[in-house]
Amino acid sequence: MTQAGDHDKDDISLVGEYALHLLDAGERLAFEKRLAGDPSLRALLREWDEGFVSLADQFEEVIPPPRAKSAIDARLFGPATARFSLRAGVLALAVVAALAFFVGPVLWNTPDGPLYVADIAAQDRTLVVEATFDPDTAVIAINRTAGAATTGRVLELWLIAEGAPAPVSLGVMPEAPLATIAVPEDLRTAMLGATLAISDEPLGGSPTGAPTGAVLAAGSITLL
Amino acid sequence: MATIADIEGMILRTGRGDRAAFSLLYEATSAKLFGVCLRVLNNRAEAEDALQDVYVKVWQKASGYAVNGYSPMTWLITVARNLAIDKLRARKAPAKNIEDAYDLADNGPTPEMAVVQKSERAQIDGCLDELDPTHADAVRGAYLMGDTYQDLADRAGVPINTMRTWLRRSLAKLKGCLSR
Repeated sequence: MTQAGDHDKDDISLVGEYALHLLDAGERLAFEKRLAGDPSLRALLREWDEGFVSLADQFEEVIPPPRAKSAIDARLFGPATARFSLRAGVLALAVVAALAFFVGPVLWNTPDGPLYVADIAAQDRTLVVEATFDPDTAVIAINRTAGAATTGRVLELWLIAEGAPAPVSLGVMPEAPLATIAVPEDLRTAMLGATLAISDEPLGGSPTGAPTGAVLAAGSITLL
Repeated sequence: MATIADIEGMILRTGRGDRAAFSLLYEATSAKLFGVCLRVLNNRAEAEDALQDVYVKVWQKASGYAVNGYSPMTWLITVARNLAIDKLRARKAPAKNIEDAYDLADNGPTPEMAVVQKSERAQIDGCLDELDPTHADAVRGAYLMGDTYQDLADRAGVPINTMRTWLRRSLAKLKGCLSR
């Protein structure tokens, strides 16, 4: 177990400031980059979080309205989950089983390190993609919970790194709602704080290397 | 009534993709986490949005919970508080309707919620008592309301750099006390 004594005094205060959410956006991002590569810093953060948490006794409990849970289920599992026919249900189970076999190891393996997540969504949530990036495997697991490409078109995923002049293509999104996309070596360190965006493109993806169709959805990548 | 061990079990099962466990977890903990979002955001609609983000994140991240070493409620509250403060920072003008927010929500706590926090409250309070009262108030303001350094400096009537110097020094002291 890491103790505070293992860390220098500046880090002890800095991690406390981070836990209180007192760092400004730039400092916070820089700290999260350090945090991602430093287990002892994560242990120190956990000590701070555990230390502060009893202050949360003062947060009064308030029952949320029932629509909150329906909205959460719709975001995670799609709006139609309750209305499957038996036949469709069996088919869906077979598809899920097949997917679990191929992409399960990436999606559900217990990650040791930090995970980066992004909620890539259209303003009106007609297209919603939950993306999870595991820096250890450099793979983005995507879960499209709403929307799809129109006939004869594809959805293309773009990375807009902080301060980058232009988006970089991460590839055409597979048709299946659950899929994985590998991130090229040189982009891996640019993920945290970047924005992921989805554009509408012709079959095969953008012919120019830049988005040519409408940008349908975007979301920033944060440390979970 | 859900115990800490129950909640831990629900998180672990959620991490294995168990939707029923996820629903139980929501029932047992959503009033607490909604309370966190409401207190920080002070706006019901935004707090509902934040609550959705919280449980989406909990579902996505539950598989990593077993190895992160957090106690269950600390993990959930930390996720909720961070997301709520992110939302608070993202908006421009603060909402002023905390009274409205609470008036609309006149359902009392249910038994499941009496759960959770029987923690060592005395320790943090005792440690905060060892600090200069102004500094202790600043720590509470930051934790409970998501105050920025600017907010804290304004309230104490000191320059922001002074507040930061005070608070960093007090945090070092506080950590020493909490680790005792």
